[in-house]
This record gives sequence, C-alpha cells and structure tokens, in this order.
Amino acid sequence: MGTSSPDITSLVGDPIDRDTLAAYVRGHEDGAIVIFDGFVRDHSKNGRTLYLEYEAYEPMALAKIQEIAAHVHNQFPIHRVAMVHRLGRLEIGETSVYIAVSAPHRAAAFDACHYAIDTLKRTVPIWKKEYFEDGSVWADGELPSVPSATSAVKPAS
Amino acid sequence: MPSVSQSIRVKVLFFGRLKEIAGRTQESIDLPADANIESLFALYANRHPELQRYRSSLVASCNQEFAPWNTVLHAGDEVAFLPPVSGG
Repeated sequence: MGTSSPDITSLVGDPIDRDTLAAYVRGHEDGAIVIFDGFVRDHSKNGRTLYLEYEAYEPMALAKIQEIAAHVHNQFPIHRVAMVHRLGRLEIGETSVYIAVSAPHRAAAFDACHYAIDTLKRTVPIWKKEYFEDGSVWADGELPSVPSATSAVKPAS
Repeated sequence: MPSVSQSIRVKVLFFGRLKEIAGRTQESIDLPADANIESLFALYANRHPELQRYRSSLVASCNQEFAPWNTVLHAGDEVAFLPPVSGG
C-alpha cells in the first residue's frame, strides 16, 4: 500500500511549486498521477472578486491535513500524496490548494484525490475572506462534525 | 478535592469573523474549576453579544481536536472557536 512512502503535507505562505510536487510523487512503480489544483476565481455569488485572504488555525490545520494523508494510504492502494495549502493574500488565478496522488493504477489515484480534497474542505480549519471593490466577506463554509461527548472528554493535561 | 474558589487558566483562540467580533486573536483567561466549553463561550457572548448569533454555526476545539460543547476544561487547555471552514 506504499505506507512507507513519505508524503508531503504543508501550509505555505509563498506560491505553491506545483511542478516540484507533481515530480515528487511520481515513482517508477506508478502508472498515474491525479492532481487537484484549486485556484482563485475572479467572482463569487457576491460579485467580482479582487483577491482572497486565507487564514488557518495552523497547527490544527496541519495535523488534520496529515490525518487525511494517512487515511488515504489506509483506504486506497496509492504510492505517494502531496497536500499543500497556501495562506495569506492570493491573487486571481493563484493556486490555493494543490493535491497530487500517485498510484500504480488510476482508479485509486482518482478516488484518493477526490476523498482528500472533499475532506480537506469539510474538516480542515482554514478560512477565506473575499475582497471586492466595495468591501469584504468571509466565505460560506462547512461546519465540521464533532465527536460525541463521551469520546471527547479529555484527561487533565 | 479542589475548593470551589479554585480557578483554572486556559488559552482561547478566535478565528475568522469571530476574531473580528471578539477584537482579538487569543487570550488567556481564568475560569472556575468546573468550566466547560459552553460556559467559556457564554462568558465571551456576554462580553460581545454579537457572538451569540453565531453560536449555532460554529464548532469548538480543545487542544487542537474538535470537541463537544460540554467538554470540561482543565488548566493549560487550548480552546478555539471555529466558524464554518472554507479552505480549498
């Protein structure tokens, strides 16, 4: 299942180096790479977007991204995963999130990449604010599900 | 047994629009020893009434794990109030 392969998971402030990530996950035992490249669009339901600003609860966001990477290794016969999210101000067309998954066969790579981006958008504590000519607004988001009360009671730290 | 007057200090973090309403990104605060996340939020909602209308559309974390509102807090815990996430 390739669990010994080191993955890349990170939050970055500078532009994401997509080519390097795609090359990193590509191995001789692989037959396919599936990439999700999410980038800033020039509009939302609120009008014409000028730029976005992303912020994160950084240590928790990174831990959640690492959990997703570990989970896709357990669930899908893949080789390597790279998951990188950018923070700070992003201009139109700039990549905000990049996920690359390599695998011997394409089905697993598609499934793993799809799972990874959907789960990231639902569970990773990152927020974006949209800036317009006449103001700004926090983007609508998804509310992560929270474990039940009994399982989350913690001992004293 | 701890006396009722004993207090615990926790770290509280705010993100997104909650940060703007609370006017801060983080704070250390002293709480009664039996405090939970719900009572902590109520304390801030009392201070910033606008927070209350977001109560049903946010989740909390304790020590960087999503946590239910009735999670009992301990000294040194790090609690965050998290609006709906919108990464990607």
